[in-house]
Amino acid sequence: MKFTSITKWEFKNTLKSKKFMMIFFLQLSVLFLMIIIFNSFVTNIESDNGVSITPSLSGFASMDVLDQSGLFLKLINPADLTVIPLSYNNSMNNIANGKTTGFLYVPGNVDQKIRSGQTIDMTIYLDSSDPKSSVVKDEVNSTTQIISQSYSNTLTDAVVPQNTTIPTVKKESTGESLPLQIIKKVMLVILLFLPLLLFGNMIIDTVVGEKERKTGEILIAMPMSQAQVIIGKSMAVVLTISLQVAMWLVILLIAGFHIDNPLLVFIFIFLTSIPIIGITSVVAAYSKNFKEAGIGLSIAYMGIVGFLVVPVLLYLSRKSFIANISPMTIVMRLFSGESIPPIDYGISIVTILIVSIISYWIAIKLFERDDIMFGPRPGILRLIYDLISFKKF
Amino acid sequence: MVGFGMDSNEVMIKIESLTKSFGRIKALDDLNLEIKRGELLGIIGPNGAGKTTAIRMACCILKPDFGDIKIDGISIHEDPIRIKSMIGYLPEEPNLYERFKAKDLLKYFAELYGVPKNDINGRIEYLLELVGMTERKDDRINTFSKGLRQRISVARALVHDPEIIILDEPTMGLDPATANSIRDFVRNLKGNKTMILCTHYMAEADSLCDRVAILNKGKIIDVGTPSYLKSKIHGDVILKVRIQNLDDVNSYKEQIMKFASVAAVDFVDEEYLISLKYRDEISEIVELFGNKVNSINTKEPTLEDVFINTVK
Repeated sequence: MKFTSITKWEFKNTLKSKKFMMIFFLQLSVLFLMIIIFNSFVTNIESDNGVSITPSLSGFASMDVLDQSGLFLKLINPADLTVIPLSYNNSMNNIANGKTTGFLYVPGNVDQKIRSGQTIDMTIYLDSSDPKSSVVKDEVNSTTQIISQSYSNTLTDAVVPQNTTIPTVKKESTGESLPLQIIKKVMLVILLFLPLLLFGNMIIDTVVGEKERKTGEILIAMPMSQAQVIIGKSMAVVLTISLQVAMWLVILLIAGFHIDNPLLVFIFIFLTSIPIIGITSVVAAYSKNFKEAGIGLSIAYMGIVGFLVVPVLLYLSRKSFIANISPMTIVMRLFSGESIPPIDYGISIVTILIVSIISYWIAIKLFERDDIMFGPRPGILRLIYDLISFKKF
Repeated sequence: MVGFGMDSNEVMIKIESLTKSFGRIKALDDLNLEIKRGELLGIIGPNGAGKTTAIRMACCILKPDFGDIKIDGISIHEDPIRIKSMIGYLPEEPNLYERFKAKDLLKYFAELYGVPKNDINGRIEYLLELVGMTERKDDRINTFSKGLRQRISVARALVHDPEIIILDEPTMGLDPATANSIRDFVRNLKGNKTMILCTHYMAEADSLCDRVAILNKGKIIDVGTPSYLKSKIHGDVILKVRIQNLDDVNSYKEQIMKFASVAAVDFVDEEYLISLKYRDEISEIVELFGNKVNSINTKEPTLEDVFINTVK
């Protein structure tokens, strides 16, 4: 069990490192900031006013309206269009000078004419060279439709028998809308999984560092297998991540987030860190230097994030069973207080187990290879060929 | 290949048909060598001769393509972990963990070597004193000079009191005082431990080693005691003659070779180097050059002469 010595010393050195402590507290600060932003975002979403996610058109375009009936002036949405009631001549001048985008003329007695089934002739003047003219045209069209609908309803109501009881329909919403679920659940679960990705790269520092400092040679000369070296170093990183996840969980709980089963949530995140470190170890074992490892890590983490997040969204939109292959789905369901059948846990744990075994096996085999440690290093295609053919791998 | 000059029959390290290639380059080619218990074997050879590859394989850091190394009868293929625990290895460059304190570094490696917990502190104190670093035990490695790093590396290699010590260029790049202290250290261990010393310094190999193996292009060219190798190549003495007229070099060489005492003749740097088996005919050889002689010197052959002669 020599790997425990490596784990102990690596973990001890990590905690003693000033660089690590600085990153650690920086991350905690970022977490606090994210909690504040997250809280205000959710508060706004849940408020009656809601949050407009599209920019307002108010002030964007303006139109002069000469409405002798007063109907349009009442119904045009001022948030979309600034309406300036003016005379015909002044309005035409305003368009020519670029002060307004359009001019609408509505004749008088509109109400009377509609009720008697006559056609209304409205005139709209637009500067077609102004791109904003389409906004003005759209707004006039939509207002016309509103007026038309309103008159249609009035006429329909008039033929309905007066003693008919109109049923009262109570509109009640159950659950949260999909966007709100994404924001509240996915954001929180991503926050909890962040340390896995932020600290996973520590294994790069310890494994690639051995190559760059040329201390790997001494380590391989120690009376233990290369497997013990990789596992010892990985366990130190897993411990560091666990420590940080625990702290993040405590902070989120203190900040007032409701998390059901925090212990089970912690265990699942802890388990998830094992295959992530395994995959990172593969990158570390193959890389010659930090630059290469950085590129490899970016590619690997894109895949990991996709594998974790996509099933979560799949679960939210379709309650898909297969979405449980991502431990992130299980964690999200756990802290939402859902009752999870054992088979769903099983899928996730089996996935973790399979990815862990495969990734560590590859990392160890790579670390054992003379050509990878001491060169000349084979290309990735050659390694894949060796892996498929089980030749020398 | 077992050479002349061994005085013990118990083989500690046996290298058999060792072959290793890196890509298309053959680093070792059917290498065979035996090292006796308690012996100090030097390995000399030009850059790229395969010295480091050979000792890395003995330390189970590299795996051979073919062949075997048996340490105290145990094959590197059978039980590499056991073999690693028997060896103290000092690599060519003293690369250490920069952020460790000296005593923590030794403690870390003592744990990895499986030194019993109760013995670790005592062993560390002893080694720090042995390499003269007791006062610096609480200092970080990144504050050490190259010489101090090498000292602490030596202590690290000995932390588990190994039966075999393998040193790869232990004095390379060190100042003369530090290099001498490392040599003294090796000298003191002689006889108690089986040692392999890879070096570029021929004088170092000459003065320290019981036997020397000359390695070139992955093969052992020759192996034996330093005096055996020197006598084999250059005999008793080398006569150095510098003359005014540099014409007829080949003609002179032919005439010199006719003397019974002459083992070999070389013309290097405008100077005749005449290896003599015995000294009786020196005056006759000098007379051959007549009044063209500028200077005459004699020198004892060195391992460097052997090296140059063997690998050229």
